[in-house]
Amino acid sequence: MKTIQLNLIINNQQYELQVDPNLRLLDLLREELDLLGTKEGCGVGECGACTVIMNGQTVNSCLVLAGQAQDAVIFTIEGIQGEGEELHPIQAAFIEKGAVQCGFCTPGMILSAKALLDHNPQPTVEEIKEGISGNLCRCTGYQQIIEAIQLAAEKMK
Amino acid sequence: MREFEFLHPESVTEVLDLLETYGDRVKIIAGGTDLIIELREDEGPENLEFVVNIAHLEELNYIRQDAEKIYIGSGTTHSQLAQSSLIKEKIPALAIAANSVGSPQIRNRGTVGGNILNASPAADTVPVLIALDAQLRFKSTAGERTVPLHDIYIKPYKTNISSQELLVEVAFNKLSRSASSSFIKLGRRNALAISRMNVAVILDQDSDGVITDLRIAPGSTTPVPSRIKIAEEVLLGQKPTPELIKISGEKVSEEMINLSGYRWSTDYKKPVIETLTRRAIQEALEGRG
Ligand SMILES: Cc1cc2nc3c(=O)[nH]c(=O)nc-3n(C[C@H](O)[C@H](O)[C@H](O)COP(=O)(O)OP(=O)(O)OC[C@H]3O[C@@H](n4cnc5c(N)ncnc54)[C@H](O)[C@@H]3O)c2cc1C
Ligand code: FES
Ligand code: FES
Repeated sequence: MKTIQLNLIINNQQYELQVDPNLRLLDLLREELDLLGTKEGCGVGECGACTVIMNGQTVNSCLVLAGQAQDAVIFTIEGIQGEGEELHPIQAAFIEKGAVQCGFCTPGMILSAKALLDHNPQPTVEEIKEGISGNLCRCTGYQQIIEAIQLAAEKMK
Repeated sequence: MREFEFLHPESVTEVLDLLETYGDRVKIIAGGTDLIIELREDEGPENLEFVVNIAHLEELNYIRQDAEKIYIGSGTTHSQLAQSSLIKEKIPALAIAANSVGSPQIRNRGTVGGNILNASPAADTVPVLIALDAQLRFKSTAGERTVPLHDIYIKPYKTNISSQELLVEVAFNKLSRSASSSFIKLGRRNALAISRMNVAVILDQDSDGVITDLRIAPGSTTPVPSRIKIAEEVLLGQKPTPELIKISGEKVSEEMINLSGYRWSTDYKKPVIETLTRRAIQEALEGRG
């Protein structure tokens, strides 16, 4: 297999990489770049643990080929903290509301919440549920997660 | 993941050249939400060697209208369809169907072209497009051709489209101002495939309430997606009554059994499709969809 040349921006950093042509964006992040916050749950688009923000929209990184991220701007959970490494308000709200238990779903959940709030800063509960409908959590029952996103929306006003 | 070379052309013309050069050794990838799963499972075409990306091509990404028609680029995502003010205004059932696909992440990547050509019986935009009598425009190095959507399906997951052809556009006539549309879907993707049934209805009435146009297109019901004319005829030229609407729903299941035979799933599907059809007609009548 011929490797491909890939130029993209991840978490505000420009990368020029040479990668295998059949790599998924998820593999690129985890295996090539050691960004282990992005998780692989199902690998087939059902769980959302691999969610990242690509060109302003959430995607399942298990269903994007690395080559399809050519010239893209990507944010993973590692990239949403502030300049001084302080937690993003959504991260802080997740902790405050006890929305993290095992934590496996949390990075994807927070990125879905971020994409939601970026487009719709004051969502209703219904809109929050819709916004995180592609992210499964087996621990919390979602109530704390919804409350955390409401709290974050409040704080970010 | 299977092994393949990744091709990243800069234009539709370049895509067509690659399709011609590599023939059935190449597969188009748009959103990848169907294809990547196939490639991962060591399935998909046996002789696959190349994957050609079209997801980034702006040329394939648009929603336009003229006086008669609406034109949708094949690379338009479900999110774009669901959020388009033109689609929401002119054919709300299509926006509703697109918005019912998977999850936000899937809708942000999955395209209408991929939905059509993957040829899953449960594809959500397909019944609406069948009800709209949509036309598909394909390009290849040999030229261009337009085909009714209705004519491309052979059986579930199989179309008669050659691997040399790129779907560039889906188009359909605008509906009259008084027409309305609805789309209803039952079941989640994770659930058994048989429970993922859906139906699209387009309906028009004259000022006396007589039905002048009716199109009923169910998903996961007939061997290939199709309008159910015998169900439409029950109501055409009539003022709708609960009794006629019920009969129309029964005609849909009758046609399903005629075409697919009586199967293990029929006892389940029959009442479901009858109810969905009834509700979809009702919703279209109320102009809600
Ligand atoms: C978790 C999950 C949930 C889903 N839920 C739903 C759902 O609720 N409803 C639903 O309908 N679908 C659903 N799907 C299926 C899928 O998301 C849709 O069918 C989607 O529209 C496919 O589009 P794509 O661009 O991702 O296709 P791709 O995977 O890129 O391509 C699919 C097929 O079409 C061909 N193709 C694509 N574009 C073209 C073109 N322009 N010309 C020629 N050939 C082309 C490809 O070669 C491939 O064979 C789901 C998928 C997943 C993974
Ligand atoms: S790992 Fe990608 S959606 Fe589950
Ligand atoms: S906290 Fe465990 S899956 Fe969500």
